[in-house]
Amino acid sequence: MERVSASGDGTVWTYTVQRFAPKSPPYRPCGGGFEPFIVAYVETDDGVRIEGIVEDIDPAQMRIGLPVRLVSVSDVPRYAPNRKVGQL
Amino acid sequence: VIEVSIVGVGLSRFGRQPGVTGRQLAVVAIQGALADAGLEWGDVEAAYGGSDSSGLADTLVTELGLTGIPFTNVKNGCATGGSALVAGYNAIRSGAADVVLVVGFDKHPRGAFDPDPADWGLAEEIGHAGLMVTTQFFGTKIQRYMHEHGITADSLGLLAEKAYLNGSLNPNAWRREAIPAHDIQSAAMVSDPLTKLMFCSPGEGGAAVVLAGGEGLRRFGGTPIRVRAAVSRTRPFGSFEVFSPWLPPGELSSVSTAAARAAFEMAGIGPDEVGVAQLQDTDSGAEIMHLSECGFCADGDQEKLLREKATHIGGRLPVNTDGGCIANGEPIGASGLRQVHEVVTQLRGRAGVRQVPDSPRVGFTHVYGAPGVSACTVLSV
Repeated sequence: MERVSASGDGTVWTYTVQRFAPKSPPYRPCGGGFEPFIVAYVETDDGVRIEGIVEDIDPAQMRIGLPVRLVSVSDVPRYAPNRKVGQL
Repeated sequence: VIEVSIVGVGLSRFGRQPGVTGRQLAVVAIQGALADAGLEWGDVEAAYGGSDSSGLADTLVTELGLTGIPFTNVKNGCATGGSALVAGYNAIRSGAADVVLVVGFDKHPRGAFDPDPADWGLAEEIGHAGLMVTTQFFGTKIQRYMHEHGITADSLGLLAEKAYLNGSLNPNAWRREAIPAHDIQSAAMVSDPLTKLMFCSPGEGGAAVVLAGGEGLRRFGGTPIRVRAAVSRTRPFGSFEVFSPWLPPGELSSVSTAAARAAFEMAGIGPDEVGVAQLQDTDSGAEIMHLSECGFCADGDQEKLLREKATHIGGRLPVNTDGGCIANGEPIGASGLRQVHEVVTQLRGRAGVRQVPDSPRVGFTHVYGAPGVSACTVLSV
């Protein structure tokens, strides 16, 4: 086994929206309680698909192929829309 | 090689049964299977069985009788019943026993299935962040599949509509009310694109099968159903499974494809010869994908099949004729053997109002469980 670094940016390969609060424990809602959140696999530029959470976007705007950038790995990979790429 | 046949099948009721334990459901199923076979517990030479969360199968000897036979516990997630059947099948083929009992049972409360990341070798943070939720897997997998293969949300509705329709024809099912596709699609969203009515629920039930071969079969007078193949597989590299923190590049592989292919090869029978099938339908998307993963259609053909009602009881390939997990609920240990019970009932021509017409001669069962285990059988008259 060998450690390989994956690139942080990529596009949404697939996603779903977590519409109800997961069971606590183990879930720890942050701040003011549960809000639906987006779970996605992001295909990096290397072709690897990494599971994480996409923030800073309305679920209705989500789509496969959306460009995203890695914004945090403090718990699980967290992504946000890569507006530099996405907006023309 | 010794041929193996199913000589008896039994089921408990499925659905909520307050005050009844999972072990009691198992005993009901076992007694039903033994009575169906015309045998007694004392005739059984070996047993295999399990539940996910309702106790150890081997302790059932307290109720069944202390005959001293080997009774092996099996625990393989949603594939528990299928894996137990494979073990029983192999015991007979090896010559170790002529009459084998296989049992699966479970009793899950509402909202069960809350796995601990540590049990899966995953970091605690994954649970804290809210990613230890099984429905997310079903949502993300079918979402990608729909995108790649042109399946629309209409198919998800039509599939569950069929499940509830078949359930309405099955006196033993939990969900016995037909629900139109429109209502299914407009129900509360759980994990996009899957609504509440597209999922099975944690449930209750027991199922048992009596297998016989060699001398055991010669003693038996009824009409046995032949087990042409029974195989199980664990996931190959590159399969998309529940709680995968990452997936490798390239085309996905599938444990269900591997298990189904091995089963058909062992049986010397092709998917086109199957007249009735039971495929794991944890949710609408799962049955759609398992149709192609198990070799019954090409990717993307499901939309047409569903619109043409090809997988309905009167169609070309009836699937989940008893209503599947969606209408019967998911008692994890029991579901694989419930499928076998249904196929045996259909092959015997005893399914009543839900009987597949024109006497099907070959049946197929497929269970799939986390984190990537699948068991398939090919059965024939």
